[in-house]
Amino acid sequence: MEKSLTLLSKCNAILDKELDGRKKGIWITMTVSLITIILSLPFFSWVKLVNISALFAKMGITKEMAANLYTGYSIFNLLSFVQESGEGRIGLYAMILLIIMAAALYFNVAYVVRVIFRIKGDKGNLSLYATGRTAMLFEVILAGATIGYVVFANRKFGMKGFQTSPMVYILLMISLFSYLVIKLMEAEERTLYKEHGILKEIRKNWVLFVMLVPTFIYFMINNYLPMIGVYYAFTNFNFRDGLWGSPFVGFKNFEFLIKADLFRLTRNTILYNLVFIGVGNILQIVFAIFVSQVTVKWFKKTTQTLMFMPYFVSFVILKVLVYNIFEYQYGLINNILISMGGDRIDFYNTPSYWPVLITLFYLWKNIGYGMVVYLATIMGIDSEYYEAAKVDGANIFQQIWYITLPLVKPTFIILLLYALGSIMKGQFELFYQMIGNNGVLYNITDIFDTYVYRITMTQPLSIGLGTAAGLYQSLFGFIIVVLVNFLVKRKNPEYALF
Amino acid sequence: MKIKKNASTIVFEVITYAMLTIGALVCVLPFIIILSGSFTDNTTILTKGYSLLPRNITLSAYKTIFRAPKDILQAYKMTLYYTIVGTTLGLFMITLTGYVISRREFKYRNQVSFLIYFTSIFGGGMIPWYLMYANVLNMKGSTFAIWFPALMSPFLVILMRTFIVGSVPEAITESAKIDGAGHFTIFTRIVLPVLGPGLATVGLFLALGYWNDWYRSSMFSTNSETWELQFYLYDLLNATTALKQMSQSTSISTADLPTESVKLAMAVVATGPVLLLYPFVQKYFVSGITVGAVKG
Repeated sequence: MEKSLTLLSKCNAILDKELDGRKKGIWITMTVSLITIILSLPFFSWVKLVNISALFAKMGITKEMAANLYTGYSIFNLLSFVQESGEGRIGLYAMILLIIMAAALYFNVAYVVRVIFRIKGDKGNLSLYATGRTAMLFEVILAGATIGYVVFANRKFGMKGFQTSPMVYILLMISLFSYLVIKLMEAEERTLYKEHGILKEIRKNWVLFVMLVPTFIYFMINNYLPMIGVYYAFTNFNFRDGLWGSPFVGFKNFEFLIKADLFRLTRNTILYNLVFIGVGNILQIVFAIFVSQVTVKWFKKTTQTLMFMPYFVSFVILKVLVYNIFEYQYGLINNILISMGGDRIDFYNTPSYWPVLITLFYLWKNIGYGMVVYLATIMGIDSEYYEAAKVDGANIFQQIWYITLPLVKPTFIILLLYALGSIMKGQFELFYQMIGNNGVLYNITDIFDTYVYRITMTQPLSIGLGTAAGLYQSLFGFIIVVLVNFLVKRKNPEYALF
Repeated sequence: MKIKKNASTIVFEVITYAMLTIGALVCVLPFIIILSGSFTDNTTILTKGYSLLPRNITLSAYKTIFRAPKDILQAYKMTLYYTIVGTTLGLFMITLTGYVISRREFKYRNQVSFLIYFTSIFGGGMIPWYLMYANVLNMKGSTFAIWFPALMSPFLVILMRTFIVGSVPEAITESAKIDGAGHFTIFTRIVLPVLGPGLATVGLFLALGYWNDWYRSSMFSTNSETWELQFYLYDLLNATTALKQMSQSTSISTADLPTESVKLAMAVVATGPVLLLYPFVQKYFVSGITVGAVKG
């Protein structure tokens, strides 16, 4: 123990030596980062094919297919091998390698840039080291996973057909070494700034970590592990090969979607949401102002309670309602029309009614919810403003226009930003319960969520297509959130979502 | 002192009361249609259609339901089971998480919060999620797949954190720590006792979600024994519509199908508990929505 401690401090002394005004350790690790970046360039092959003729025979690759294949692959074009050879079994792993590669490259470039431009955080070099440490960690994982990939692929085909390039082993060793170097430098910097690492944090607050265990398991199962499944978006599912073995087809599913449904789904999802947000917020503000102005207590309470009530019933009840009101034979509206001597309207076979109806029922269900938020804001306005305005002779409309609305604006903006952030998320339950499986209405009522749901439940062979649609929806929505947040943060950081 | 009302105030008040009356009526009328339909004789519905007030009042629809209540009782039982298990477990996990990410001395609280929040802005989509439960965990047909996926949500975790920060001053936990209390003691003795409103609010949101769910049954249930109440109702509606269409072309007898009034009575029975409890618990939802919206 004593001995290793002195050894450590000796190491630190060496690493701490200045070199052009920089610590030696930083130079060493930056060099490793640069080497990684260069080796990541596509002309270096990381995985080589050996015993080619035997391997191709085993994989069932024909001469024409072989024309598109190489003898060595980098991580970037490894997926093209999977696709050209029609072998889905090694596809997911190749995709994970690609993602790790992207992460490793990102952190290595970030590290090099930070070193060159001397970007520091507020606690000395601590955040710089954190970037470097993450970069090295990803490199170690990447090299290890590449070696593992070759073992995995060889086992899948029961022969020695793949070989790791020697430089992957070199990369593994130098990145391990450089990881340790950064760790040593970091340890020194930490004692300087009285910070501690994760191990010490666990020892200190282990109860808190234990409390998080169920939550961790939940979000892993429900959210994070399923993210691996986006791989299906790049496969063409068939029952013989199963979920993980079906052929990898690249962006074919997306191409098909663009040709078929993508535009319609995007248009419907976004347009409906825009109308919901616009009309919904306006009505919620208007009704919140109305309720706030009522002086009769029982009336105020009753109207608020009644308008909030639809929020509490399930969408199945909404289905019952819609059906009873718009049904052809016995529906309330047709009933009234007939008794007034008119003609029946066939709502369920006429698409043009439904955008309006869906919006109406959305409002019916959600007005009370938003009203609560706005009402709380209005109630929080200092009554002195109104008193002063009254003294100055402002009438009620002027008070609302010049006092209430400007003070409601911040709440409105926050709610608007949240809503814009989720503009790609459809109101699945609303649409599905109102429209169901009524194909006549799909063209103008189908949104991503209903489309994917139908595929999940009834068309198992299209799950590649469905996953692609879901992934597109998720990514598009994510980009919008990040963009909105970025713009808001620049303009007014108080409103930022995260 | 009474302030004299001028003309514009009177105009405004007229508009206010008129609009609010209309708004409230629009929100409540559909329920009245359902309720009165459930008390109406079925042949009246078939000949004269639905109406606002019940005509030929009868209890026969309710009698039909409770003459053979096995299915609906089973659905009720399962829904109660899901609601109780899900709400209890979910509340437990959400409270613990809210406590952890509200602790200043926990170094990774921001990272943990972000990982939870991130799930609301990006996900793998419905199909990978479905296959996770159905194929990877092989939980199709189990009750687990119905209560587990809704245990937590980013919104509720952050809501709970806001409640904890608001109801337990940092100074109190600090002094407790100086007296030698561990996290477990602080949590059970100091935080939980004052967290009543927060627990009620989050618990009610969870319970409402479980009670009103039909979606997970539609995806994961393989036999009607495990159906949720709302899905039972949904299935009833769909089955009758489909059969009615078939019976027009073929000669299937429609006599055994649930009649219109029975369907409505079923809807009343399925929603009744929620609407009966609603006036008493409304204030918790109001506080939850206000706190959640402002703090995000």
